[in-house]
Amino acid sequence: MYDDKTEKEYVLSILARNNPGVLLRISGLFSRRCYNILSIVACQTEDTDYSRILIVVSGDDRIIRQVDKQVSKLVDVEEVTVLQRDKAVIREHLLMKVNRTPQISEKLVELANVFRANILDVEPDSMILELTGDAATINSFIELAQPYGVLKILRTGAMAMQK
Amino acid sequence: MLLTGAQIIMECLLEQKVDTVFGYPGGAVLNIYDALYEYRDRINHIRTAHEQGAAHAADGYARSTGKAGVCIATSGPGATNLVTGIATAYMDSVPVVAITGNVNVDLLGLDSFQEVDITGITMPVTKHNFLVKHIEDLADTLRQAFQIAQSGRPGPVLVDIPKDVTAKKYEYQKKEPLPFFPVPYPKDEYLQRAAELLNGSKRPFLYLGGGVVASGADKEAAAFAEKLDAPVSASLMAQGAFDAHDSRFMGMLGMHGTKTSAEAIKNCDLFVAVGTRFSDRVLCNAGLFARHCQILQIDIDAAEFNKNIDVDLRLEGDARQVLKTLLSLFPQKDHAQWMAKIHAWQKEYPLTQTAKEGVLPKDVLETLDRLTDSDAILTTEVGQHQMWTAQFYKFRRPRQFLTSGGLGTMGYGLGAAMGAQIANPQKRVINVAGDGGLHMNCNELATAAHYHLPVVELLFNNSVLGMVRQWQKLFYDSRFSQTTLDTNTDFCKLAEAFGVKAYRIRTKEEIEPVLRKALALHAPVLVDCWIDKDVNVLPMVPAGASVEDPMLEM
Repeated sequence: MYDDKTEKEYVLSILARNNPGVLLRISGLFSRRCYNILSIVACQTEDTDYSRILIVVSGDDRIIRQVDKQVSKLVDVEEVTVLQRDKAVIREHLLMKVNRTPQISEKLVELANVFRANILDVEPDSMILELTGDAATINSFIELAQPYGVLKILRTGAMAMQK
Repeated sequence: MLLTGAQIIMECLLEQKVDTVFGYPGGAVLNIYDALYEYRDRINHIRTAHEQGAAHAADGYARSTGKAGVCIATSGPGATNLVTGIATAYMDSVPVVAITGNVNVDLLGLDSFQEVDITGITMPVTKHNFLVKHIEDLADTLRQAFQIAQSGRPGPVLVDIPKDVTAKKYEYQKKEPLPFFPVPYPKDEYLQRAAELLNGSKRPFLYLGGGVVASGADKEAAAFAEKLDAPVSASLMAQGAFDAHDSRFMGMLGMHGTKTSAEAIKNCDLFVAVGTRFSDRVLCNAGLFARHCQILQIDIDAAEFNKNIDVDLRLEGDARQVLKTLLSLFPQKDHAQWMAKIHAWQKEYPLTQTAKEGVLPKDVLETLDRLTDSDAILTTEVGQHQMWTAQFYKFRRPRQFLTSGGLGTMGYGLGAAMGAQIANPQKRVINVAGDGGLHMNCNELATAAHYHLPVVELLFNNSVLGMVRQWQKLFYDSRFSQTTLDTNTDFCKLAEAFGVKAYRIRTKEEIEPVLRKALALHAPVLVDCWIDKDVNVLPMVPAGASVEDPMLEM
């Protein structure tokens, strides 16, 4: 009956009661059971008694099933969903500070336009760009900006919602 | 009525029908201990010598009764001293509620005197824990703690209560205990498939784990074995879940399982595992476990399916309910040939023991078994004596053998024995110990003496850490690094210093008269039994080998 042994990335959407330490309970469980967290995003839901925590985890089918069941056992956790990539919208958010000189300014604006990135701030020698998209888009945006001199990157983990 | 937080704690304990708590006083629990003084006619408090002893005692109380055990400790070191006991309970799914004091709410997080983040520390070893910062949450939190500890697969819950919360006053109203969480139940379709497997099997093997004890499924398991006409093996945690006097019983399976169990798993066509988590001590080499048969697993915890080993069919539910249902789904089976094979192996491979000199633990335990009519509650420390006890005492019923199976905690037994004795004043309680384990927590002899608990401390004294020594013999070329104790402790004198009577067994002839004398005392007593350093625990499956191939001698 088992299964696919190849390592894949899965997005777990966890609805948990917003009690103190809930994020520690969840992340602690991942570390002590040796599951790999690739990224984690947590925030309050529309009901402030609850938090939604999105975790990208890598592993094979068997590990994911274990993660799902072990996390489900936590008293503060209400619901765990393993999101299927083709049936979910998955987005990440990027803030990137790049080097700016009069010579390359125009090229950076052009690049931002191609990716529909926003320019949040322009200083004499740097600018901050903002982009929301899937991981691949963000990766290629960073890659194309690299030649101009990327000074700093801030990137959230995956946010995801079932369609 | 308006009560202090400490009084509310007492009332909540009474709601749960808690009659005994184990603990140790300290600064942050002064209010709680003041309330214990006030409630002393309704709640019996046992003060141990060390908080670890209190945690183990609460555990022993819980394992021997099935009710939640309660322990109390002060903040900081009091709380951290509970941790080994809590982890022991967690690994073996024992319902314990640990109450710790903490510094005042406004001192939390400031490295205050005796402050420790005990909820942070115990997160990995509790089913859940709470820090109660507001008195209005106190009563409901305690009720939830008992609900969580005892629902489904049981486990320990810790409630950390800052000192000022125990002093504040709040309106209290008595409530009934919260109902346990609903347990899962397998779909009909799966039950039908299970029935087909059971019906089709020619050589079934019934394997029982601690879940059978937790669920109270021993009668159903016995009926199931009878109807399926199957031999039965039990994990360390399930000794007593099936009557060891029954001819179907093969003993343990796994690292120190019997050769009969090993032959049975090699030859069976269906392995029915009930309430067991397939620990690495049972599987041995997981890749070589139960290779020739199908596995049907029944467990209340879905996370135990396909965790350590893949199974063919899983039934998620309470062992007792599921076995009850299954019993009605297949007809009486007859596997006379298969059972004859089992009985032949039992005859061919009895458990044996040899020694160059001194007393054989086997003889001591078999004599104890006879003198107590297989009816005593036995606790153990961890190591060779633990395995010998499981092998040679013929447990009749569940909750009779209390041992640290998952965590393997040396120092567990004496505290657990005291808890079991208090919960079962009519039963004989014996802690079987090694000299290593006794050195760890012998302080609790003082507690046994103080409360006149008629616990028998049966010491197998070989001046070595026998189990580790056995491994050093096998895998480290007999380089006995740090396992020869030779402390020359006179354990009889030690016991007497605590006010505990003591006797010594040095020859085979002394076994019965000394054990009789010790049991007749009905007072705390230590029996110092000198055994050879090189008595081994056998059979043994060496690391990496298949459970089917135990060594029978070394």
